[in-house]
Amino acid sequence: MLSVQHVRKGFGSVQAVSDVSFTIARGATFGLLGPNGAGKTTTMRMIVGIYPVDGGSITWNDRRIDERARRRFGYLPEERGLYGKMRVREQIAYFGRLHGLHDPQVSQKADAWIERLGLGEYVNRPCGELSKGNQQKVQVACAGVHDPELLILDEPFSGLDPVNAEMLFSALTDLKHRGTTLVLSSHQMWQLEQLCDAFCIITQGRNRVSGTLAQLRAAWPTRVVKVEPATAALRGVLERVPHARALEGNGALYYELPAGTDYPPLLRQLVAADAVKRFDAIEPSLQDIYMHTIGQA
Amino acid sequence: MNELITVYSAEVMRRLRSRSFFLGVIFGVIGIAVVMELPRYFQSYDTQNKRMVLAGAPQLRDAARSLLDKDFVIVAEQDAVRAPTPAELRAKKAAALVALTRDRKGVRVVVYAKDPGEISASRLQRDLVPLNLQLASRLNARQVHSLINVPVRIESVASKFGSAAQADSARAIAYILLLLLYILIMVNSQLIMSSVAEEKTSRIAELLVASVNPKALLTGKVAASATLAIAQMVVWVAVAWALGAQTPAGSQGADSSDSSGFSLSGISSTDVAGFVLFFLIGFLQTSTLFAAVGSLINRTEDLGSLSGPLFLPVVGGFIVAISALAVPDSPAVVVTSFIPLIAPFVMFARIVVATVPLWQIGLSLAINIAAIYAIAIAGGRIYRVGMLLYGRTPRPSQIWHAMRTP
Repeated sequence: MLSVQHVRKGFGSVQAVSDVSFTIARGATFGLLGPNGAGKTTTMRMIVGIYPVDGGSITWNDRRIDERARRRFGYLPEERGLYGKMRVREQIAYFGRLHGLHDPQVSQKADAWIERLGLGEYVNRPCGELSKGNQQKVQVACAGVHDPELLILDEPFSGLDPVNAEMLFSALTDLKHRGTTLVLSSHQMWQLEQLCDAFCIITQGRNRVSGTLAQLRAAWPTRVVKVEPATAALRGVLERVPHARALEGNGALYYELPAGTDYPPLLRQLVAADAVKRFDAIEPSLQDIYMHTIGQA
Repeated sequence: MNELITVYSAEVMRRLRSRSFFLGVIFGVIGIAVVMELPRYFQSYDTQNKRMVLAGAPQLRDAARSLLDKDFVIVAEQDAVRAPTPAELRAKKAAALVALTRDRKGVRVVVYAKDPGEISASRLQRDLVPLNLQLASRLNARQVHSLINVPVRIESVASKFGSAAQADSARAIAYILLLLLYILIMVNSQLIMSSVAEEKTSRIAELLVASVNPKALLTGKVAASATLAIAQMVVWVAVAWALGAQTPAGSQGADSSDSSGFSLSGISSTDVAGFVLFFLIGFLQTSTLFAAVGSLINRTEDLGSLSGPLFLPVVGGFIVAISALAVPDSPAVVVTSFIPLIAPFVMFARIVVATVPLWQIGLSLAINIAAIYAIAIAGGRIYRVGMLLYGRTPRPSQIWHAMRTP
């Protein structure tokens, strides 16, 4: 279990992280969200030990993270970089060795990642000659080659085309199923929504909301309903709901209703008013929650 | 330990595969060959300027020939005392014609030279003094020779050398070794700085420091660089040795003080041990400092401006060491032979040319080994922080803060 409790980090007059806390169960996939400059990267760097914390604590399995524990972590930084002249397989194996793997294990694991990420045709090419997307895949392989217990990926999908993003998504899903604890930050909300079990949204170095998607949704103050057809009778019923607000919509009625609205009585009233073809209660997406949280901050 | 070995091996392989390493070795070999062969080339050119035609009465020529032999090559002789044509000199491959005549006052010499600037009149005067004395005193050649050559013997009392020739030879060797020391330290320290800067600018630094302890990373890099510098040095010294061994004994003329080319046969095992020891000390101090500063670079273009101040102690050390070859016991030289970054050059120079008290060598080693430790700690901290500093070059206060952060 990774526990981050009230961590702080400042650089001179700039307080990058003021108070961030979250707990990630072993084997869970966790999304760390926030706008640029929110403190995500600094928090990740503190977890992997690049920066010492100024205050608070970070533990892994209830123990302070030492050099030995850190070797079982993997990290993909937001700033991408590789040895340009080193060949693909050699580079992945090098990072495996840095994390304590030995031959022939390191070669087998490097080859497995090469296959998993579709890098087979580039194995003997210097990394500097690869496209940006392929370089990024090599970096992911470098971060994960030693089968880390905890893999932290800072913006892993940025810069990838849809095909490569899908390939990475499936590789991360595979890691998740194998029990690797994953921490991801990304601005691709739909990917995080599918992949992550829990989230934390931070802004200005502080926690804003955290929990599973169900918990975040439960805390969401409104819901959206979609009703078809867009007749005046149905609109009238929806308008009578306290605090209801009409939203823009095409060919249907979209209304934002308070979260506690009881749907069965509402549906009965709608059916009584007119012929209802469709009634959808739309749960807020991670994107909605994120935008709402950022907006509040 | 494993990660240190991994970094070390990878760094050695990276450097071995790099063009700069091979170019460094090859240009070093070429440079050594040039330094060693150039004096021989000039010697052969000088020999051409010593080719003379001797003209004058047979008795005069007989007496002068043996006296001129040691400094000049007599290629032809003739009775006729007259100015030669350039074609005549060319035909005999001679630089000049030396015309000898005799009058009441003694020998008169006129030199008809292709290039008067290349002829040493003082050497001719010095060589022909015995002939003049012989003619004036009516003594025979042997008697004059014994009168002129007063036996002088120099006995060493405080010097480590038995003779002036030995001391000169040691200074020449020390000069070359100092130059080698300087080149190896400068070149390899710059290479390690470039390597760190490359990691920083290619943005792989963050992945590296997340994977491996920065101290192990820095130590592995410096150790790999030291290994390759020693390998480079071995190649260069082997080439120098081979070229030195090719110098035939006495091939540089009759006067040993005139010898050209460098012979490495005068290097003692103590000198070699001192060279390796002070190379390692100087290299570890300088390269750690260069690596730490390399981590502060954001653009490779900044390499020059940030490395400039680091060159000063190394260049200063080299200059003081050159002075130390002449005055190894002057107070300034003695003091600087203890100062880190400078001492590896100065103390080595003193050891080669003078008898340095053991306590001074010991104290210098202690100070400089302690300095390696201090530089490694400070450098490691700068490196750890510097590797992740992007944007503007950090202010001195930030560097100071990094050095104080454990």
